[in-house]
Amino acid sequence: MIIFDDVHYRYEPEGVDALRGVSLQINDGEHLALIGPNGCGKTTLIRHLNALLLPAAGKVTIDDLHTENKKHHPEIRSRVGMVFQNPDSQIVGMTVEEDVAFCPENMRLPTAEIKQRVAESLDRVGIPELAGRNVENLSGGEKRLVAIAGVLAMRPRYIALDEPTAFLDPAAAKRILNIIDQLHAEGVGIIHITHNITEAALTQRIVVLNEGRVNLAGSVKEIFAQIGMLKQIGMPLPQITELMLKMQASGLPVRTDIIDLEDALEQIRLLAEKSKD
Amino acid sequence: MYHTGSFVKGSSLFHNLDPRLKLATTVCFSVLILWVKPPLALFMGLAVLLAALVSGIRWRTIAAAFKPLLFFILLIFFVHVFFGEKDSEPLMQIPVLGWHWSPAGLREAFFVVWRFLSLIIAAVLLTMTTAPSHMIAAIKYFLRPLKLVRVPVDDIAFMISLALRFMPFLLAEKERIDIAQKARGYHLSGAGIAPRIKSFLFLTLNVLLGVFRRADELSLAMEARNYQRGPRASFTELKFVSVDYLAAILLLFSLFIFVAFNLRLS
Repeated sequence: MIIFDDVHYRYEPEGVDALRGVSLQINDGEHLALIGPNGCGKTTLIRHLNALLLPAAGKVTIDDLHTENKKHHPEIRSRVGMVFQNPDSQIVGMTVEEDVAFCPENMRLPTAEIKQRVAESLDRVGIPELAGRNVENLSGGEKRLVAIAGVLAMRPRYIALDEPTAFLDPAAAKRILNIIDQLHAEGVGIIHITHNITEAALTQRIVVLNEGRVNLAGSVKEIFAQIGMLKQIGMPLPQITELMLKMQASGLPVRTDIIDLEDALEQIRLLAEKSKD
Repeated sequence: MYHTGSFVKGSSLFHNLDPRLKLATTVCFSVLILWVKPPLALFMGLAVLLAALVSGIRWRTIAAAFKPLLFFILLIFFVHVFFGEKDSEPLMQIPVLGWHWSPAGLREAFFVVWRFLSLIIAAVLLTMTTAPSHMIAAIKYFLRPLKLVRVPVDDIAFMISLALRFMPFLLAEKERIDIAQKARGYHLSGAGIAPRIKSFLFLTLNVLLGVFRRADELSLAMEARNYQRGPRASFTELKFVSVDYLAAILLLFSLFIFVAFNLRLS
């Protein structure tokens, strides 16, 4: 379990607080989405997860390991894998397999085990055929998969992903989302930063950050019941939700906590039946 | 475009040899070709050229490796032609300067250039038949004794691998800035020296800024991926197998023959 206890953080002593008293609990194997407008502190928050940043005040605990204790850092970093927004910033190997081997090499594992972990991780993300490829010759989607495989080679309990589908075409984004689902099904805790509410709606719990604070946290339904607040902080809503809002604004009695097409059709069907009567 | 470090996968004998053997042989070759007498240097150069061709390296690739050094090759040649050996009758004299060239000077220039080109071919053969990770593992192996005097061998090897990994990034960053400048209507054709110097400084500064930004992001990612200074395990496993032993014996034998012949020629 990951616990944020009243965490404060600022990048510069004279600057503003990037995190202002964040308290949050992330359960084992939970799939959690972190949403919020640009600059709200999402990336700052997940960088506390594997001790890349240390709280100025408050405490971050990963399975009873405190991040302020430097001796815990190697263990914390093997437990919480971090997939950065830009895979080019993360990939250090010259070939795919060399990059995936980077973490196990750092963990000083025997060569046979490193090879086994590399093969296993590439299999899990479905790219065993890319093993010997030069990383410079990969597409954006393939680089994301390599970055995820590189983290999986540590066999982490949690993975934090910073906008893993940003700048990808729909097919590549779907592939990444399927892998995230599969990892969650295997029991890995997922902390998923996204700007896409439809993606966030696929998770078990959504945490809304704004100006360094947790504004809302709850299930998808609970969050969408507060749609006004999401709009207020500038979160882009799914088109289908926008449609329902406009219908409601024009006086039609429809629900607005709707995020998928089937629910919207059901609402429109009910409306049509009512108007027939 | 060829640049050192452009490993090309293959299945030739040289591709399959242990990188430690290849690295040691290249170092020995480099020393030897500068030391031996001209007939032996000619033979060694031909041998390394043959080895490169047998390993699937094309003439075009070899020529591409010579191209950036063409100016220095010509400079070396002409310096030796005009200022080298003068033990025979001059064939031609340049008026005013009084420089002249002779068959002896020509011969000397040819062999100096030949040795230089042979060194380049040896470097091409090594880098194109050896994966960078294997090369680094070999360097790490040879640097290992320095650990006794507390030289951070693992860190040095990792730094070399990072430098090789990010070499393409420098070129890509330069291209990116070039394209961005052109897209905004910045053209240097017909411009004088001052705008060219200014453009060069702007480009250098921006590439450097990009490199520092990237280095910053990279160090963060490395930390997140549990990198710590000091010894690391290795994915690349080097194994000396029977073909390596055979090649090592052959090379040692050749070395002995070359040294003996050279001493005899002396």
